[in-house]
Amino acid sequence: MSTVRGRGRNLEIAVDRALGAAVDEMRAQFAGRPDFYRGSRAVANLGILEPPAAEIAAFRDALAEYGITLDGVSGVESIAPVVAELDLAYLGSAPEAAAEVSALPRPRREREVRISDEARSLIADFAGARQDMVRRRQAPAATSTLASAGVALPQTAAARAVPVGIATLYHRGTLRGGQALHNLGNLVVIGDVNPGAELVASGDIVVFGALRGVAHAGAQGDRSARVIALELAPTQLRIATLIATSDAGTRARGPEHASIVDERIVVVPFAEADLRREHTS
Amino acid sequence: MSAARRIVLTSGKGGVGKTTTTANLGAALALRGKRVVLVDADIGLRNLDLVLGVEKRIVFDLVEVVEGRCQLRQALIKDKRLENLLVLPAAQTRDKTAIGELQMAEVTAQLAELCDYVLIDCPAGIEHGFRNAVAGASEAIIVTTPEVSSIRDADRVIGKLRERGMPVRLVINRLRPEMVRSGDMLSVDDVTDILSAELLGIVPDDEEVIDTTNRGEPVALQTESRLGAIYDKIARRLEGDVVAFTQFGTPGFFGRLFRKAG
Amino acid sequence: MHEMVHEEAPAQSAVPRERGRAIVVTSGKGGVGKTTTTANVGAALAAGGASVVLVDADVGLRNLDIVLGLEARVRHHVLDVLENKVTLDDALVTDKRVPSLRLLAAAQTREKDDVDTVAFRDLISSLRDRFDYVLIDCPAGIEKGFVNAIAGADEAIVVCTPEVSAVRDADRVVGLLGDNRSIKLIINRLRPALVRKGKMLSVDDVNGILRLSLLGVVAEAPDVIVSTNRGEPVALDAASPVGEAYRQIAQRISGTLTAPPEVPREPTFFEKLFGSAK
Repeated sequence: MSTVRGRGRNLEIAVDRALGAAVDEMRAQFAGRPDFYRGSRAVANLGILEPPAAEIAAFRDALAEYGITLDGVSGVESIAPVVAELDLAYLGSAPEAAAEVSALPRPRREREVRISDEARSLIADFAGARQDMVRRRQAPAATSTLASAGVALPQTAAARAVPVGIATLYHRGTLRGGQALHNLGNLVVIGDVNPGAELVASGDIVVFGALRGVAHAGAQGDRSARVIALELAPTQLRIATLIATSDAGTRARGPEHASIVDERIVVVPFAEADLRREHTS
Repeated sequence: MSAARRIVLTSGKGGVGKTTTTANLGAALALRGKRVVLVDADIGLRNLDLVLGVEKRIVFDLVEVVEGRCQLRQALIKDKRLENLLVLPAAQTRDKTAIGELQMAEVTAQLAELCDYVLIDCPAGIEHGFRNAVAGASEAIIVTTPEVSSIRDADRVIGKLRERGMPVRLVINRLRPEMVRSGDMLSVDDVTDILSAELLGIVPDDEEVIDTTNRGEPVALQTESRLGAIYDKIARRLEGDVVAFTQFGTPGFFGRLFRKAG
Repeated sequence: MHEMVHEEAPAQSAVPRERGRAIVVTSGKGGVGKTTTTANVGAALAAGGASVVLVDADVGLRNLDIVLGLEARVRHHVLDVLENKVTLDDALVTDKRVPSLRLLAAAQTREKDDVDTVAFRDLISSLRDRFDYVLIDCPAGIEKGFVNAIAGADEAIVVCTPEVSAVRDADRVVGLLGDNRSIKLIINRLRPALVRKGKMLSVDDVNGILRLSLLGVVAEAPDVIVSTNRGEPVALDAASPVGEAYRQIAQRISGTLTAPPEVPREPTFFEKLFGSAK
């Protein structure tokens, strides 16, 4: 399966099947949101493929239909002349070949970030989280026929949250497993966040209760974002592109504050936290 | 390299041990050197990650793979104890309508190119989640306990699978020989007669299972233990070996002594 | 719906009765004891004098009839009623032992998608007009079967065993049930000896996450499997401690017992040696 990933404002398209099939697949992927990437620039990673000029041109043209400009291509050396012929940049050989299952893949700029011996980090692209936040902002609540018949349907957490101003979503009540709150801005939860629940915010996350689920602050890339909780015991903590997990210690440590310091997620007691806006790195 | 065997573990009735069996059978196969990928198809009620102890390392899940937000191999979690064992977790904040049968079949086919066995942990019931899980498989293992309700549900599921022409084998879980003797539980023969499916394994009830699943340490990893040996036998039978079934029944001297004492 | 005069139906009284209560018994995780709980709590409530109807919402995988020992008596089911093929009275099965306990069975050869949620909710509503208690046995999972089962109920009992997976699934379900229902907890299949050894979650571990009002804690006991296989609810067995636990749960539901539930403990050495009332 090919993937489209965001890198800053550009796209990287990793292709692992014949270009014709990749184009079909991409059309299916973009079907629901044809304009989502309009205006973007992209590079394609062709892996071990060696397609003829006509196929690469067709690929470039297909992308252009969605408003995506293909700037360059990486892959095996033999495609360099073909690529140049089409006025595209040849970006060198592909860093990773077709899918070969081995250790959990480590991306190029690898960082080892530890809260404890159990923790490790990845640089991960949470494009999906960004899309969700944008979509929730835009879509009005769906009214199904069941709801209008007065049937009490299973409840979503977002149904309870009260938007405060533009930037911060304020939610009163415990978040149960399987519930998720996504916000463009900060997120404040008064209550617990149970294991299996998920918080995603482009800004800070504050939990006035026990944070036991997954929290992702700075989800659009803001490395100065923080996570603060009365009890910080998340299954997983993410700030911008760093991920960390805590060890099993359950002793009560009081309110704590997590932020990125020197390229690592660092957790300190709240009383010792540096609350200035810009992070020190 | 030929494609892997794709096996769904299902039951109809919930709580009979599908997830525990998936995890332990997967571990047993990996211990025998096979490359195994375990897939949790229970979207919204995921548990396979807990039973294997990989919950904290989930970054991407099955739904995100299907939606194209990540590559398949980014979502696969490698077990720290067994290098041949990988897990594709389900999503927790979504529900089963997030993916369809075709997508499940595609993902499973891709996984099958990377390993020897794909084991799919099916959700309880026979609704959308069940159909998704089955869509990716070419064989089925039915997990049942020797109780009337569980057998009735297993029978319904076997019917549905046979309609699809899928070969079906049986694992009888949580057998309690003393209850079989007192007539309060069906015997292995009773079960295989009613369900008329080939028997793959018999797993006795064991209180260690609860603790090991809570801690995320599948009991099959304890190869010297009784249950570890049993899961190894099941793995060997799955591979095609003819392996005698363990005899359960006669309690030891101590068993008899304590029963008399009350 | 065609009204029939039936000698077993509750008599229409001149004074309008208070509407009955509709309670869904759910869990998320399968195999934790929803059906056993529905049958036993229903039997205990009925034995205490209330009129009770048990509704099996597990279309295609019905089990409530087996647990009550009534499978041979089931002639019609919920879908037959919803599709107007029979009347409700034709479909209701009266329990062998407790006449004020009725069963409305699920269809076995149909699918949960066949049930229209609004129609099911309306059926539950009309059952509330006739019975003091309507207990709905919910299927495992959170798919359409679950959505249907909760549609008509404004109260819920969540059944959970002391295992991590069960707690996670129960928490999911509590979130889906929402804030507008009264939700209470029964912890089932507790094994005090394993809790003491640290090999099983304690009541506090479970309710530390779920944070629900506790209706009762039921210990694991082999006589429950036996009674399920025989179709004889253990709540009707005066000598059974598990039966007693269910009877107390029924009393807390009806409001006649307000003391908080006891946590079952291990038998003492004396009891182990000489046998306690079992």
